Amino acid sequence: MTLLLKAWGYYARVSKRWPVIETLVPFLPLIAIWWTVAELQIFPPAFFPGPAEVAQSFWTLLYKGILTAYLYDSVVRLAVGAAAGIALGIPLAILIGLNWRAHLALWPILLFFQAIGDIAWLPILLIWFGFGLTTMTFVIVYTVLFPVVLNTVLGVRSVPIELQRAAASLGASRWRILTEVILPGAMPNIITGLRNGLGYGWRALIAAEIIVGTSGIGFMMFDARRAGSVVEIVVGMIVLGVLWYIVDNWILAPLERATGERWGLVTK
Amino acid sequence: MRSLTIRDLSKTYFDAYAGSHVDAVRGVSLEVTQGEFVSLVGPSGCGKTTILNMIAGFIPCSGGEIRLDGRAIHGPGPDRGVVFQSFALFPWKTVLDNVGFGPKMRGVPKAERDRTAREYLELVGLAHAADRYPNELSGGMQQRVGVARALANNPEVLLMDEPFASVDAQTRMTLQEELTRIWQERRPTIIFITHDVSEAVFLANRVIVLSKGQILDEVDIALPRPRVWDKLHEDAAFKSLSGKVLQLVRSA
Repeated sequence: MTLLLKAWGYYARVSKRWPVIETLVPFLPLIAIWWTVAELQIFPPAFFPGPAEVAQSFWTLLYKGILTAYLYDSVVRLAVGAAAGIALGIPLAILIGLNWRAHLALWPILLFFQAIGDIAWLPILLIWFGFGLTTMTFVIVYTVLFPVVLNTVLGVRSVPIELQRAAASLGASRWRILTEVILPGAMPNIITGLRNGLGYGWRALIAAEIIVGTSGIGFMMFDARRAGSVVEIVVGMIVLGVLWYIVDNWILAPLERATGERWGLVTK
Repeated sequence: MRSLTIRDLSKTYFDAYAGSHVDAVRGVSLEVTQGEFVSLVGPSGCGKTTILNMIAGFIPCSGGEIRLDGRAIHGPGPDRGVVFQSFALFPWKTVLDNVGFGPKMRGVPKAERDRTAREYLELVGLAHAADRYPNELSGGMQQRVGVARALANNPEVLLMDEPFASVDAQTRMTLQEELTRIWQERRPTIIFITHDVSEAVFLANRVIVLSKGQILDEVDIALPRPRVWDKLHEDAAFKSLSGKVLQLVRSA
């Protein structure tokens, strides 16, 4: 019992120093189960490779430079698409959130196009733009746009009127009220929108790469299917999960902590 | 020297549910001279907050006019500082930046507005909290920041809308005493909205009783200053004035 407590105390200290351990530990049982199932050979090894084979394949792909090149392609596509989606989405959302006429005119249209999911655009995009970057960028921008717009509109509308009045009575112009009050007030919702948008965008990108791609993680996975290499498909899946965790944990979560949580707008 | 002139002010709302018009304020006329401390007191629905919102320029008036030093009022402006019941501090700004917001909007350079902000934080006894965020402060402290923020902008009139209604009873008494001290030091013109009769009498030079959107009566409060609760609590003059105002409010 005391030994167990000591071990727990040790773990708590170590994981406090290296937070990455706290992230990795939950995966240990998952990997153990995977290993066991693979070792028992319930499924043929070619269909269900174990962690060792996947790790080996990972190193090979990394060593050959394929993985890094494809990863770079995917991340750049997502970054470009997301940046365009945000640059379009936030001003649009501010317009809709602040102006009831704009809301009246644009809201139904927005909901209509939201229903036509990203992938549903692919058939027509392929005819219009062919198998290329334009098609993929369109899909990502489209996917990122809606969560960003809908959440930002919500954020803009939930800024208390008293704060806007306070700013106005302190001499703020309409523009200063926007930059000093409405935007920071909407920030927690904007970040939620970014988080959802990037998450959906990431998934849409992989789907688009599978159908349209000539490179990228999605393409790598689909290409591996053609070669019948389950190992490489699994490598792709793991890379997707890890990459998203990194983006969320190293970029989005700190952003959230520095804004909404710090200001007491979002509970920790 | 007239500071604020309100003439025949009225406000009519359209109540969409009842499908009828509601007269929230009906023909209110009022003169507030510079450096005066006036309390507007009355039960809920008497129109006191509506009047304040019209003076602040947050809502348009349906009739009559409001003039500040002869100029008609259109919309909110830095000549009328507002202290809100909900404090309305900017959660994403430090206490210092909240207080320095008005000067910032006037284009005062950072160093100078920080100095101004610190001076006013000193005035409300919060110099030590300058770098904290509003959500890290108690309600009483937040409202001190609210008062400092309004004063730091050097308004011609300070409009206070039940500013101490959402803090606990002990803190409220302290804040009331501090406000009377600040008023004595700086002599801002203050219009103070409350439903609390003893608060109105304790603070003001003149208490105006409102009823159903109209001025029912007004009572001059000639109590000596500085006013502190320990003394006034059992003071005969204070009691009789409070009783008089209370009677008016209850008859409203």
